[in-house]
Amino acid sequence: MTTKKKLGTLSFYVVAILLAVVALIPFLWMISTSFKSRGALMSIPIQWIPENPTWDAYIKVFSKFPFAKTIGNSLFISISYTFLTLLSSAMAAFAFAKLRFPGNQLLLGGYLATMMIPTQVTMIPLFVVMNRMGLSDTYASVIMPSIFRPFAVFMLVQQMRTIPNDFLDAARIDGANVFQVFVRVALPLCIPSLATLSITTFMESWNDYLWPLLMLSDKNKMTLPIALSTLNGQYATEYNVLMAGSLISMIPIIVIYVIAQKQFKYGMMAGGIKG
Amino acid sequence: MKKSRTEKSKHQGSGVLVASPFLLPSLIGLMVFSLIPLIISGFISLTNWNGLDQLMQPGFFQDHFIGLDNYKTILTTPEFWRTLGNTAEYIVLYIPLMLAASLLVASLLSRPRKAIGMFRIVYYIPVLTSWVAASLIWKSVLAPQYGALNGILEIFGIEGPGWLLDENWAMPAIVLVSVWKDMGFFGLILLSGIIGINRTYYEAADIDGANGWTKFTRITLPLLTPSIFYVVIVAMINSFQLFPQIMIMTGGGPNGATQVMVERIYQYGFRYFRMGYAAAFSWILFAIIMVFTAIQMKGQKRWVHYDD
Amino acid sequence: MKKNRLFSLIAMALAVLMVFTACGSAATTQTIATESKSTGSVETAAVNEDASSAEPVTITYCNFNSSGGNEETLAKMVAAFEEEHPNIKVEVETIGYDDYFTQMQTRVAGGTAPDCYELNIENFAAYANKGILAEITGVDVSGLNETALGAFNVDGKQYGLPESFSNVVLIYNKDLFDQAGVAYPTNDWTQDDLQAAAEKIRALGDDIFGIWQPITYNEFFKVVAQYGGALLNEDKTEFTINSPENLAAATALVDRVLVSNVQPNAVQQGGMGDWDMFMSGRLGMIPTGIWAFQTFTDGCDFEWDIVVEPGSTQKATHFFSNCVVMNPETKYPTEVATWLAWLASSTTSADIRLEAGWDLPALKDLNALSSYLDITPPDNREAVFESLDYLVMPPVIEDYALMSDIISQKLAAAADGTITVQEALDQAQAECEAQITLD
Repeated sequence: MTTKKKLGTLSFYVVAILLAVVALIPFLWMISTSFKSRGALMSIPIQWIPENPTWDAYIKVFSKFPFAKTIGNSLFISISYTFLTLLSSAMAAFAFAKLRFPGNQLLLGGYLATMMIPTQVTMIPLFVVMNRMGLSDTYASVIMPSIFRPFAVFMLVQQMRTIPNDFLDAARIDGANVFQVFVRVALPLCIPSLATLSITTFMESWNDYLWPLLMLSDKNKMTLPIALSTLNGQYATEYNVLMAGSLISMIPIIVIYVIAQKQFKYGMMAGGIKG
Repeated sequence: MKKSRTEKSKHQGSGVLVASPFLLPSLIGLMVFSLIPLIISGFISLTNWNGLDQLMQPGFFQDHFIGLDNYKTILTTPEFWRTLGNTAEYIVLYIPLMLAASLLVASLLSRPRKAIGMFRIVYYIPVLTSWVAASLIWKSVLAPQYGALNGILEIFGIEGPGWLLDENWAMPAIVLVSVWKDMGFFGLILLSGIIGINRTYYEAADIDGANGWTKFTRITLPLLTPSIFYVVIVAMINSFQLFPQIMIMTGGGPNGATQVMVERIYQYGFRYFRMGYAAAFSWILFAIIMVFTAIQMKGQKRWVHYDD
Repeated sequence: MKKNRLFSLIAMALAVLMVFTACGSAATTQTIATESKSTGSVETAAVNEDASSAEPVTITYCNFNSSGGNEETLAKMVAAFEEEHPNIKVEVETIGYDDYFTQMQTRVAGGTAPDCYELNIENFAAYANKGILAEITGVDVSGLNETALGAFNVDGKQYGLPESFSNVVLIYNKDLFDQAGVAYPTNDWTQDDLQAAAEKIRALGDDIFGIWQPITYNEFFKVVAQYGGALLNEDKTEFTINSPENLAAATALVDRVLVSNVQPNAVQQGGMGDWDMFMSGRLGMIPTGIWAFQTFTDGCDFEWDIVVEPGSTQKATHFFSNCVVMNPETKYPTEVATWLAWLASSTTSADIRLEAGWDLPALKDLNALSSYLDITPPDNREAVFESLDYLVMPPVIEDYALMSDIISQKLAAAADGTITVQEALDQAQAECEAQITLD
């Protein structure tokens, strides 16, 4: 029994570590490139350890744009975006999964259908619509689309459907109205999904590039991806600076990720207690 | 049980009045950010608009209207069917591989082992790695002569293909890289599904003396089907819209072997200035994805288990 | 009749949409008020001396060329310009190259394009032919290189001014030439001399190659000129892609890969970039842009130099030029034209540009550039200027990008041996004829 257990542990770590190496290789290369002096392209064999490691790229990133301001803008946009997405999507998902109204399935189908539209063609019409609404060059133009996120609605619908109706009925019998049922019963049971969603939504919004670029022309509203994109030139790209910038821009997502991961434990406990 | 369900549907069947406050914000969003641009793009698909003349000016449609010509042209060119075929090849390879990889990731991460928190971060790193960096490194890993992958294959006496440079292997190579990039993302979604599974099921199985594999196939998998369904639907929609990795790794080559639909739509709309044609192309793509998703939605009753 | 009804239906639906989207909007008036398609030129009077007494106006200028390291250089130019023209303020927006054109197209279509902006030659052709650029008049552009100026002239109207300028020379690895015992290239070399030298260098080793010249549209339109061919007939009404001269040119390029193998095929190249191959000492020669000088200076641990590219029946060299254009809806056409002309042709801007080691200004009078010649390597920097005597113009047509993609794709298929060169050119000819209408 114990040898079997040890073997299980061993094989777990072998598989897990192998997978980790595959996952990490390009990331390690990003780190290595960010310490190179020249914006080196690929050389073969790959140069893993820079010949003359230097902080130049990082210094350049910080001196090139108003970094604090840019990060502040990005944080403001991404946090608002994520919050609105979670709120609006959870509400819609609750209606779709647990409330009955005529056309429920049809409307959900319509939501799903909109995920299938390639954005390349709706971009110009949406741009025109936003301008007509007087939203050009406002944060709102970048944040407001968060209220309609079919991917998020769909994911939460899937999660809410697994909540046994008896839970909701129990709360109802205790005298809770539908909003209280939503806030006190449905939401807590969706915490693992909400945590996941907050990571993915934050990441998408944090990395979003083309739309903010179109809508925000004021330099003071510049977000991090827009700032980083100016490293990309017609004939050459400063890869070392680009990688340094990309690494820095990963930090907030990792922080959010770690925080959200903690919620998994609570989610686990919630599931355990209620079950 | 049966009785309580009918009771529930009575007092929960509270209709539009109760549901509408919950739906209102996202319905407004649906109108403004999705429906209106979509309808406009539908009109555009009936025009020969070049994507540069100002949109929605007086006389715009009279000037540019050409009826269904774009649709006719698209459906009669071999290019459309070829890109559809390439897209299909991607989906057929990608979905099973991605599902297997993300299930592996999710089941590894769901175990209460030491350092699991670290692995959770590490497996998510590819999702965060920029496509620019990832493609540069993968191009080198997949390089035919000096690349790491073929080097490893050589140890086992296999002569590796030209990957991205070979017409037959370029798409599988793109699939490999996409699986690498997405397994953390979908793995995380499946993980939150696994965590949501009621512990009591496992406790009961432990009492029955079930082993790990039995627990995985008899409890985890069936109860995970709502999450798996979500992952499959989303992955399929994403696959139809496959784009950034193609642009950055092959640009549609070699010899058009990795040209896919959204890549064509982008090229027509923004490189060849045929936005009307691009819009028609994307409406056709839209229709195809709809059909596939509808089929899956209908088919889900057979294999997706919801708790209620 | 039926069609009319359809139109009124569509118009009605659109009106509903517009009302919906226009609610509570202040921006509406601005976008709707613009007159229908403005194709004509904007009259631009000569710069008025009295203008300086007026309120300073602010114009917006959007560019990609300063991204990737030259934002400060551009800022310096703007400062110098504003000092000379206190009545004009220039607001610069710099956007990375990759998505520059997607965003610019969206802004143009959405009616919110900046007063003036930068375009590369591919996109210039499309924009100019679609009548969304203003003719730039009333400014002195006589100082600019005529070939470059001509590239941005459509039907006698100057829609763009060449603002930056780069050309292509043959860069060679002196050490490999020494090892192979071949004399260094000279300006009178022909393609035959190049081929002979490439073969000797190829013989030096398994992974040493004579030359690397991309077999793509961008090289092809120049090489056909070297063989006396062209992709279009004189008045640009017909494609001549599969002419005998072009066939000779394409065959020469493809044979280097498939027959003499002095140029690596895709597998031999192994995913390594062309510049990296040269810098690792594995290539004898590489025809490439002068923007490679700095990178090669840093990255090569061998001696290298440059010459004018060899021709065949005649010499022909390449140039890349970005232009600056004016939005016909700008409120300040005079000021915009002044800024654009200053940016492209003033000695002040040329000096700043050269000092920063950015690309070249497209000036006719090269004396302004003399300081440029003092920088080594390469020793033979004069070749950069000598090459300007043989410039060929890319065939600027409306569907430029589509044509170049079709040709590149067919050439690539020929280069990997999937189809013959003849088939490649025939297919390219047929597809271009089918998909592109020339007028």
